[in-house]
Amino acid sequence: MIQVFILLGAAAAMIVVDSLSRKVGIREGGGIFASMALFSTLILLWVEASKPPQVTTYRVFGSESPLTASLKLDPLSLYLSMIFCGIGLAASIYSIRYMELERETGLDRYYLLLLTLVAGMIGVTLANDFFTLYVFWELMAISSYSLVSFRKWSWEAVEAGFKYLLMSSIGSLMALLGIALLYGLTGSLGFDVLKAALASGRSPAAHLSLALIMIGFGVTAAIVPFHSWLPDAHPAAPTPISAVLSGVVIKTGVYAMLWSLFKVFTPQVYGFGWIIMGLGALTMTFANITAIMQSDIKRFLAYSSIANIGYIITGMGIAAHVAANYSGEFRIVALALAGSLLHILNHALGKGLSFLSAGCYIVRAGTREISSLGGIGLKMPATTTSLGIGLLNLAGIPPLSGFWSKLFIASAGLGILSDISLIAVTAVFILNSILAAGYYLWFLQRIVFKRGAGGYSSEINEAPASMLAPLIALAATSILITIMLNPVIDFIQSALGVLLG
Amino acid sequence: MGPHELYFTASLILIIIGIYAVMSKRHIVKIVIGLELLTLGVNLAIATTGLRIIDGVSHVDALAQSMVAISMAIGAAIAALALSLAINIYRHYGTFDVRKLRRLRW
Repeated sequence: MIQVFILLGAAAAMIVVDSLSRKVGIREGGGIFASMALFSTLILLWVEASKPPQVTTYRVFGSESPLTASLKLDPLSLYLSMIFCGIGLAASIYSIRYMELERETGLDRYYLLLLTLVAGMIGVTLANDFFTLYVFWELMAISSYSLVSFRKWSWEAVEAGFKYLLMSSIGSLMALLGIALLYGLTGSLGFDVLKAALASGRSPAAHLSLALIMIGFGVTAAIVPFHSWLPDAHPAAPTPISAVLSGVVIKTGVYAMLWSLFKVFTPQVYGFGWIIMGLGALTMTFANITAIMQSDIKRFLAYSSIANIGYIITGMGIAAHVAANYSGEFRIVALALAGSLLHILNHALGKGLSFLSAGCYIVRAGTREISSLGGIGLKMPATTTSLGIGLLNLAGIPPLSGFWSKLFIASAGLGILSDISLIAVTAVFILNSILAAGYYLWFLQRIVFKRGAGGYSSEINEAPASMLAPLIALAATSILITIMLNPVIDFIQSALGVLLG
Repeated sequence: MGPHELYFTASLILIIIGIYAVMSKRHIVKIVIGLELLTLGVNLAIATTGLRIIDGVSHVDALAQSMVAISMAIGAAIAALALSLAINIYRHYGTFDVRKLRRLRW
């Protein structure tokens, strides 16, 4: 609750803090201040998470329920906001040196937007009614449009930013229209009131509103066919922002879909699991095939993000499908959702690591082409080790935690052997995982071993220490989660308790 | 036709015009105008859901009205950002024609 307001307060103070610290000769004042705000938010979230799991709600304005706007704090929102805040913190520390090396200006606005972006993402997970969710959603969205077009001297950023703004704001408006329909149907927007009112019966208006909400949030989650902004927007942003956008911002779309599917529209009443499952299979297949053809390192990673969203969506779809059609199979629903939630964490860490390592190469070599980066890995061993851990985690190589999340989703899909559609989707999922593991390893091999590319000067050295620090922290977190998987799974189970009741 | 149907029809027409403008127009400012029409249509739909007619007297739901006010502010922020991007596009390309900016691979 207070976590959002720390970030918003720090964002409001950013311009003053930055100009004051410049007056006394500290150029990095803004970045240090933003990192401190994100760090204290992370600590506060950690303190909340270490308490026994409970659900707390706060009223923001309006009269008593149902006519109210309110916030909640439960294990699911804590889990996601800690991921969001952690990746935001890593990007913020990384930005201090990166933005200096890239000679970017206007850094006070940059850190302000980074703080409002993270505040918006945390707010989305804390919202307890659709309108609060929409307000924080737009806070997040407007910050990310501005950050994508931050390097406005380059045509790529401006063009990608405009495309992103157009597609994403039409998507948000579709979601808002669906929300308005729900308000007209039930007279409230609180999630619990909506769930009770919508579970009693189906109506065409409720189905239309479900479709509009799924399309709206699906644009931000970059589900095929609403993905085409992502491969342009994510590479065009400054690299730390690419890590935040690709690692966590698209996850807010997944969260909003997950919450609407399970906490607003009951899966047993609205049978939609097979649509989500099919979209997930389409998304990962399309993105994996397209990713192989990319020659730009950041576009390659962006397409791999779409593929990973496909895995998460597939897990969600399997859960919704099983919940709708097989009422006794509660364990399979929980297993599929646990796999999706764990994969949200794994992908955030893995994609954060890969984008931040790619940023180190880009700064040192001055190019984004994979073919001219061949062999650079051996010259920057610490960066390459982090990149390797991130990519192996994404590829799902055992014993890293990326393996377990994919195993959960696959074994949930194979839980009911008589259902052809489940088996088919799981087969597509496993094939895609193998394909993805193949191209991650191929990519790593090219970065490390391919000699004589010559796209960079021969005497480049390791990235600066303050850029390596967040990389090593994220890599250590990946390994720590692999070792201590049980507490993480326990926490995910208490989050599932919120989701499934 | 009661007031609800009337307002919903009007908002639907605005939304369709907006989507048409975004999809088919070539001029960036016209695309932004289409986006604004879309916003207006959705806002009108929210305001309509807050209209309650009890015993022939129309009452207004205050929560829906406050939602429309917040949504209008958000829409204004998006329009401002879109127009500033339009200016930057003009600086880079010297044109407002959206067909000229297909340098990104689709």
